[in-house]
Amino acid sequence: MVKITYIECDGTAHAIDAKPGRSMMKNAVINRVPGIVGECGGNTRCGTCRIYVDAEWLAKMDAPRADELDMIDFVGDQNPGVRLSCQIEVTEAMEGLSVRMPKSQYPEG
Amino acid sequence: MQNFDEVDFFTDKSLVNDPHIYFDYLRSKGPVVFLPARGVYAVTGFDEGVAVFQNEDVFSSFNSSWGPKPLPFTPVGDDINDLIEKHRGDDIAFQMISSLDPPAHTRLKSLLRGLITPKRLKENEEYMWGLADGLIDEFIGQGSVEFMSSYAKAYATLVIADLLGVPEEDRDEFRTIFQQSMGLGMIDPSPQDAVHPLPLIGGKFFQYVMDRRANPRQDVLTSLAQMTYLDGELPGPDVVVALSTFLFAAGQETTVRVIGGMLRILAEDQALQAKIRADRSLIPVFIEETLRLESVLKTDYRLTRVRTKIGDVELEAGTPVMLCISAMNHDPRKFENPHAFNLDRPNVRDHAAFGRGVHACVGAPLARAELKVTLERLFDRTSHIGIDESRHGAEGSRTFTYDPSYVVRGLSELFLTLTPKS
Repeated sequence: MVKITYIECDGTAHAIDAKPGRSMMKNAVINRVPGIVGECGGNTRCGTCRIYVDAEWLAKMDAPRADELDMIDFVGDQNPGVRLSCQIEVTEAMEGLSVRMPKSQYPEG
Repeated sequence: MQNFDEVDFFTDKSLVNDPHIYFDYLRSKGPVVFLPARGVYAVTGFDEGVAVFQNEDVFSSFNSSWGPKPLPFTPVGDDINDLIEKHRGDDIAFQMISSLDPPAHTRLKSLLRGLITPKRLKENEEYMWGLADGLIDEFIGQGSVEFMSSYAKAYATLVIADLLGVPEEDRDEFRTIFQQSMGLGMIDPSPQDAVHPLPLIGGKFFQYVMDRRANPRQDVLTSLAQMTYLDGELPGPDVVVALSTFLFAAGQETTVRVIGGMLRILAEDQALQAKIRADRSLIPVFIEETLRLESVLKTDYRLTRVRTKIGDVELEAGTPVMLCISAMNHDPRKFENPHAFNLDRPNVRDHAAFGRGVHACVGAPLARAELKVTLERLFDRTSHIGIDESRHGAEGSRTFTYDPSYVVRGLSELFLTLTPKS
């Protein structure tokens, strides 16, 4: 298990034991982390699993594929380090990872 | 007063017009309740239901379309995974994409990866505007209309037809075929019912796939026909046909009914209608609250693969679970004053009308676009939409009839009056 922390925009931190080989979204959802929805079930189709990752951690993840970038673009989130957490597979190298979540996964807030 | 302990949700027509009376009764006994009539556990709790949706490892979708019918096998032991896979071939209902489990589900779903992308949705949305206009043209001069047959069914059919790339010259045929409902979860399925649409659609798609594989063009049907699995293997034409047919079915039964639900709400509540007409940016939240309130897909089914728990309730392996999506979306622990329509509901988008997890509706962005375009165009072209009182009665004593299905919630007919904008 890999310790990963998801931080809400008001600073509330949710630390979980994430299972490697499973996506960050799936791990968050199974651990009931508030703020990650993953409405489409992890198919790069809804943009409701967005997280913000610092540059040093981004370097330890596979680069986003075109469909992930298309979806982020479609949703219009231009925050630095934005990723779809359903497309990031948890690995041992992510031990101690900490990511931030948007105020809401939806435009209306 | 009805004795709800003895009622059978799956055959009792009196539960159709307002299922919430029954769901609230179940909820009063707990978020997870055994229904002895059918041997299923009914889940009415939002959190409990979402956890089931999210846990495909524990809850198989084998019986998703099978519903409350007896399983084709007797569960034995603490792990029925092998039994489930052994019986996949027993009925087509166990082989639909919505009934498959990973990894088969993941593999089949990958064939849709080119279809409902942001780019395709944008193209499809352009088509939707023209389509909405064309359909409205057909009845706007009449002053009143039966909206389900004159707009909703045709619109939902033709949008999917466009998404899948059905040739223009064939679209009228598809429209005619889909005037007949598919009878999902009907309480009284009549063997004398007119021809079922899906085999007809299947036949057309078989022709399209074979043609495009032999003679590729620059069109969506060709992309569909040529889409391979992620490992490069080309699926058999029957697989593509089954998937295309499924998408038609999925995009029909549900979207049509939400359109009806939206228009009924707007026609009944003139103040709400005026408010949204004056501020179109409210359309998206209006759509979400309609999706939550109406919950057109009332129930979905899962089967425990192993011994497990939902909330505090222990279930043996092989236990059918009925996820009462309507009830989940009306859970007072999650949605305050849940039976009321509330445009300002803060957590409206948390609803589970499109499901959750790996089987969450792939058509959700499509549906949302369809609903939005429908309202925008109706508001552009009319100054007033009302309920036709000669058909549904006066305010305060309306009669609306819902299709007698235990799975979907939808108006059989919706007669509206419309005033065209001059």
